[in-house]
Amino acid sequence: MHICPRCESNRSEVVTRSPVKGAWEVLLCPVCMFTWRTSEPDSITDPAKYKSAFKVNPQDIPNATHVPPIPERVQRRS
Amino acid sequence: MAYKDFRDFLHTLEKEGQLLTISDEVKPEPDLAAANRALNNLGDKTPALFFNNIYGYNAARIAMNVMGSWPNHALMMGMPKNTPLKEQFFEFARRYEQFPMPVKREETAPFHEVEITEDINLFDILPLFRLNQGDGGFYLDKAILVSRDLDDPDTYGKQNVGLYRMQVKGKNRLGIQPVPQHDIAIHIRQAEERGENLKVAIALGCEPVITTAASTPLLYDQSEYEMAGAIQGEPYRVVKAKDADLDLPWGAEVILEGEVLAGEREYEGPFGEFTGHYSGGRAMPVIQINRVYHRKQPIFEHLYIGMPWTETDYMIGVNTSVPLFQQLKDAFPNEIIAVNAMYTHGLVAIISTKTRYGGFAKAVGMRALTTPHGLGYCKLVIVVDEDVDPFNLPQVMWALSTKLHPKHDAVIVPGLSILPLDPGSDPAGMTHKMILDATTPIAPDIRGHYSQPLDSPLGVAEWEKKLSHMLR
Repeated sequence: MHICPRCESNRSEVVTRSPVKGAWEVLLCPVCMFTWRTSEPDSITDPAKYKSAFKVNPQDIPNATHVPPIPERVQRRS
Repeated sequence: MAYKDFRDFLHTLEKEGQLLTISDEVKPEPDLAAANRALNNLGDKTPALFFNNIYGYNAARIAMNVMGSWPNHALMMGMPKNTPLKEQFFEFARRYEQFPMPVKREETAPFHEVEITEDINLFDILPLFRLNQGDGGFYLDKAILVSRDLDDPDTYGKQNVGLYRMQVKGKNRLGIQPVPQHDIAIHIRQAEERGENLKVAIALGCEPVITTAASTPLLYDQSEYEMAGAIQGEPYRVVKAKDADLDLPWGAEVILEGEVLAGEREYEGPFGEFTGHYSGGRAMPVIQINRVYHRKQPIFEHLYIGMPWTETDYMIGVNTSVPLFQQLKDAFPNEIIAVNAMYTHGLVAIISTKTRYGGFAKAVGMRALTTPHGLGYCKLVIVVDEDVDPFNLPQVMWALSTKLHPKHDAVIVPGLSILPLDPGSDPAGMTHKMILDATTPIAPDIRGHYSQPLDSPLGVAEWEKKLSHMLR
């Protein structure tokens, strides 16, 4: 488990490792869906250095606007 | 002039000196995006980039900026690479009128070489990477997506081929942004109203003519494949998908087949967009991938997008201008000369027209606002006379500075639709729009002192010919 640099949840998991052994891993946060590579600059990988304007509060995620809205089911004549 | 496949086009670029291979090791981030951004800053004749030594990968190959300049756009159309932009516009318009060109069907394609249906992991299969620092993840942003109209599946033109940004959000999971003005939003709504998943297919690494057709604002029932055939001057080759009744581009490097999950929304974004701003994060539909096939050692094509101009602007410049040109000509066949809607995907459009009587140019501007593309773009429409080249911005600025009287010629129409990505729209998707009439007033609109326009000295045409010959 890893800390997500963006929403700071601790549920991130490795989704792939570099084909050349030991170069990097790619991690994915299942809370805010942020993805990053461990070889990226620390402004991306370090929760303390991640730009504040792009931080995501996990509590806001369920309230995110639906684009497009989910339409009502429509009964169609067969 | 058709290119056999994506690799055939890359070979042409290489032969024409329009492909730069970077063999030094680069990091996936930030080098790939940074190199491409830097290239876009270096002018409008730049080559494509081909990276073959990427840190952490054994054999990944990535092509970028494939259509990111006017020479590369000319080569896409099979024209000499130094063809002037205005000539590319009129040639594109001529071929546009050859629509529709029926497709050519094939049974197999090179991408059938490798097939994966178990334990799909897109992060393993594709060399994915981040573009801009605030992006929420790794994106497919030059892939075409194919889907079918569920109410009228037999009308070929209603099968849609479009370019939509897709965030890779899991091993077999993508997020997609369906802007309401685009056709995919109609297909998703049809499926969700039924409570059904929408079958889709995604093609990466395509020859540029289908990417161009997919990013052209065609009418809803016009087929992108039949337009690709018209633009390349011979039938476009397609092959059937395996899990759905969808046509795929024969020359693609990689195919993903899957379905948009009905009623599901998941956090997506932000993503640095063509507006030069990030899009913000919103809950968007999700695509589950069930099948992947690709050529051996596939070439991954990607596109840097951000503050204009980038590859996007070359890719959707001429082919956005031409449909507006054709639709305005339908209304005013004897007047419309040319249309330049190349700025930020047509948020600004410049129309050159003859005028029949006072007020005519403003009517041309209002018609532009009501074209299908104008409904989502065309926030500022500038109308100029027939002798002003809309692709020559100094001439357009001359027209604005000398012909326009703000009291008479600036028209604001309130409360119109715009694509929600316009960062100035408020609320997102709504805006006022403006027409600037920079044409010369004619009767009965009698105002200003325009009776003595400057002409050229006698013999200029002969001297142009003579000097251009001497300069060769």
